[in-house]
Amino acid sequence: MNDSDHKRWSEDLAAYVLGALEADEAAALERHMDGCERCREEMRWLQPAVQTLPESVARQEPPKQLRQSLMAEVRADARAEGRSPSTSRWRSLWAARGMRVATGFAVVALVAAAVVGYEVGDGGSGESSGSTVVSRQPGGITVKMVSEGDGGKLHLSGVDPLPSDKVLEAWVEREGKVEAVPALFVPDRNGQAETTIADMTGVKTVMVTKEPSGGSETPTGEPIVTMSVPQ
Amino acid sequence: MAVRREKAERLADEELMPLVGRKDPEAFEVLYDRHGGAAYSLAYRIVGDRAAAEEVTQEAFISVWRSGARFDSTRGSVRSWLLSVVRNRAIDFLRSRAGKAPKLDFDDDAVLEQRQASELTEDEALRRETAAEVRGALAELPGEQSKVIELAYFGGFSHSEIARILGLPMGTVKGRMRLGLEKIRGQLAEGLA
Repeated sequence: MNDSDHKRWSEDLAAYVLGALEADEAAALERHMDGCERCREEMRWLQPAVQTLPESVARQEPPKQLRQSLMAEVRADARAEGRSPSTSRWRSLWAARGMRVATGFAVVALVAAAVVGYEVGDGGSGESSGSTVVSRQPGGITVKMVSEGDGGKLHLSGVDPLPSDKVLEAWVEREGKVEAVPALFVPDRNGQAETTIADMTGVKTVMVTKEPSGGSETPTGEPIVTMSVPQ
Repeated sequence: MAVRREKAERLADEELMPLVGRKDPEAFEVLYDRHGGAAYSLAYRIVGDRAAAEEVTQEAFISVWRSGARFDSTRGSVRSWLLSVVRNRAIDFLRSRAGKAPKLDFDDDAVLEQRQASELTEDEALRRETAAEVRGALAELPGEQSKVIELAYFGGFSHSEIARILGLPMGTVKGRMRLGLEKIRGQLAEGLA
């Protein structure tokens, strides 16, 4: 890559770290950064400036009732968890919101995509070897699931860089319902990303979506990974 | 089982997060006590209204609680992550109230300054120092540079929206963002040296 090419992309980096690029522009820059160490280096240099901006605001004393109502909600949640330890908190959250997963639009879309993913994998691009399942996904991502006791480790390679306000979130589908895996993850500079799924019992499909920082309670986008789990 | 409050207070943020992931209210309470003030202040800075800031802060912390320990240490500190969650919620709130203009000043200094030094922990003192450095760096920026940074970060506007608002070419807006961030970054680096 020549200097003028680099300079053209480099001009977008400040807007990118400020979250001020349009989605298509951010995606194009991320694709470029995948192969441009200079841009990645410049981005890493600029990011701390943005991360310190919240520290610049004048301090306001939060109202006391904010802490009280927040902790009341948190303790009620914790008590509810304690009453039904075998029930996934995600399942109960969705149930509480009337979002029975099997009928929710986003989840139907996810499950439908999972079937497509399985067919792709079944077309000669997937392989299974005992406790390890490997699946090559559309988009150049390779997924490896390694069983570990009741759970498993999900390893992705070939993942494009994410903007700073996005993370990867894994979801599992079992008994017709989709649950979030409570650990967000991001790809490293080599496009490798890894997360652990603590309980794989009864899981039929594993999916990964890009979600806003902090994760989502329900999937907000199309999965970048869908992998059927051999039963 | 919940850890006792006193034990939680001795833990670093990064050590609290797995406990929050295991639904420990005491660990979460310590996290709120450490960062709730900064979170509320940031929300207020963005939405410009106390009731809305309270709502945004509560929603952000509840999302952190319900999403468990979904914190990735490779992306920075717990505090940075929490504040990015608050910022995203606040910007969503602004966007849902179409037409609401963000506040655009950096001059509204500091209830914090009124606190007694003895109330401040070492971490808090360090943060104050950082905050003072950032405020200083921002204050030294030419207005044209701080304005585009404010509109992007605190207003949630894209560079093309900012170009329309200010009547500038998009390249000029991006250039000013770049110059401004480089100056802040440079001053932070000098502060660390």
